[in-house]
Amino acid sequence: MAADATYAPNEFIGSDGHTVVGMDADLAKALGQVMGLKVNMVNATFDTIIPGIVSGKYDLGMSSFTDTKARQQTVDFVTYFVAGTSFYVKSSGGPNITSLSDLCGHKVAVEKGTTQQSDVQAQASKCKSAGKADISLQIFNDQNAVNLALSSGRADVAMADSPVADYQVKKSGGTFKLSGQPYGTAPYGIAMPKNNGMAKPVLAAMKALIADGRYQKILDKWGIQAGAITKPVVNGATS
Amino acid sequence: MTLPSAGETAAQADPPEEIKAIPVRHPGRWLAAVVVLVLFAMLVHTLVTNPRFEWNVVWSYFLSRRVLDGLAITILLTVVCMVIGIVLGVILAVMRLSANPLLSGSSWVYIWFFRGTPVLVQLLVWFNLAFLYPKISLGVPFGPSWLTANANNLITPIAAAILGLGLNEGAYMSEIVRAGILSVEHGQGEAAQALGMARGLTMRRIILPQAMRVIIPPTGNETISMLKTSSLASVITVTELLYAVQLIYSVNFKTIPLLIVASIWYLIVTSVLTVGQYYVERYYARGAARELPLTPRQRVWRYLTTFHAPPPGPVLPPSAGSGR
Repeated sequence: MAADATYAPNEFIGSDGHTVVGMDADLAKALGQVMGLKVNMVNATFDTIIPGIVSGKYDLGMSSFTDTKARQQTVDFVTYFVAGTSFYVKSSGGPNITSLSDLCGHKVAVEKGTTQQSDVQAQASKCKSAGKADISLQIFNDQNAVNLALSSGRADVAMADSPVADYQVKKSGGTFKLSGQPYGTAPYGIAMPKNNGMAKPVLAAMKALIADGRYQKILDKWGIQAGAITKPVVNGATS
Repeated sequence: MTLPSAGETAAQADPPEEIKAIPVRHPGRWLAAVVVLVLFAMLVHTLVTNPRFEWNVVWSYFLSRRVLDGLAITILLTVVCMVIGIVLGVILAVMRLSANPLLSGSSWVYIWFFRGTPVLVQLLVWFNLAFLYPKISLGVPFGPSWLTANANNLITPIAAAILGLGLNEGAYMSEIVRAGILSVEHGQGEAAQALGMARGLTMRRIILPQAMRVIIPPTGNETISMLKTSSLASVITVTELLYAVQLIYSVNFKTIPLLIVASIWYLIVTSVLTVGQYYVERYYARGAARELPLTPRQRVWRYLTTFHAPPPGPVLPPSAGSGR
């Protein structure tokens, strides 16, 4: 089970320096318990996980993947959470961003391979055709580099999934603040190789976790119960 | 010159046998050649028939705009950073060998620091310098300043890459240049001094030109290495070849074919640089040998255009009756 452990509170490296912990790690372990399998969480760079699943390097990917139609062409998903994208800026002097169209003329930092990257790239061409100032998009290898770019002023705005943005703002102790409202609520999915038979058992295990309350307990532990779902599905992409 | 009498009559009556000379056989070489050919055939076969290489994807991106733009930035970074590195390296090496303890000491500290920290860390620090120094200004130390600039505007990502890679390369080049200077025999410097040449003049006109023969091969090595090290700039969002390829595959998930595209381009440029290094080395080797060895091109040309007379045949025995 692969995850990019730079995305607290969903997946990050614990205090021992090598274990992947977080909401995704806990859910993965719980799924393993239901299915009677041992889950080995490994850390990998975000944009290498889906290719790794396709090539057989990883069995599953649980790294806050947004279930999108584009990704469904390469892997199957079992949905387990909903999240939107939030903007966060520097507390003092940061711009007020309420939607994607406000990004024109700003320096934006995102992580490589995320839906935020494609969202901003689409917005950049919209800004250009509307005659507004260009977006200066900076794409980094991991979320930590995104945060560093924001705190050093390289970027005015950073974007990440809402639970992650909330957590970053909380942990920053006042350096960052959220801006505007989250947009584009979309389901998270556990990624697995296409049509290899894993989808049905994983879906059943997910339903079991929701039914007996362990799912809610894990979400409460990380403070992200706002994204809870009640009915997981296979390949539930909305866009 | 007389033959031993015992064989004299025999020689006249019986012409000497032709010496059957056959070339030395090398059975081991033939066996090894067969093994290598089989392995090579297997390699070509797997490259051609394994569908997972997706050579059609490789070919479709090979000459695409984004890849070529990335290649241009990579070559730009290599050239600029090597120029900075070589200039800085020469200055630092000469400082290291100077009699002035302040010069040699500060050079030592520079080399120690820039060789002692990872290049990646140096790149990240230059890129995020605004975290430590949001504003950079020019002025009197501890006093008023005249020009102030926002660090992020002053140091763009590509400027950060050039600074990081160039300054780091300077530290490594200084050791290569120092090795070259040390390789020039001491007598040269002494003779120059005896002629009354100043130290600076000696260094510029006598020592450094002779040191070039030893400096060029490792410098060629460093240049080829810098071509690849420039890919580290991808972590500070400089759109060089590797980053350009990463951005493409982060969207279409064709990781391996695109990495093959990047690798092929790196190989092509490395080959060009290797040939260039060969000719630069030849230029600096003038005077070291009476005649420079032929270049591969000259050898091929000579092979194709020289026609030899057939070798002389076996020595014929003296015909009967002619006698001595």
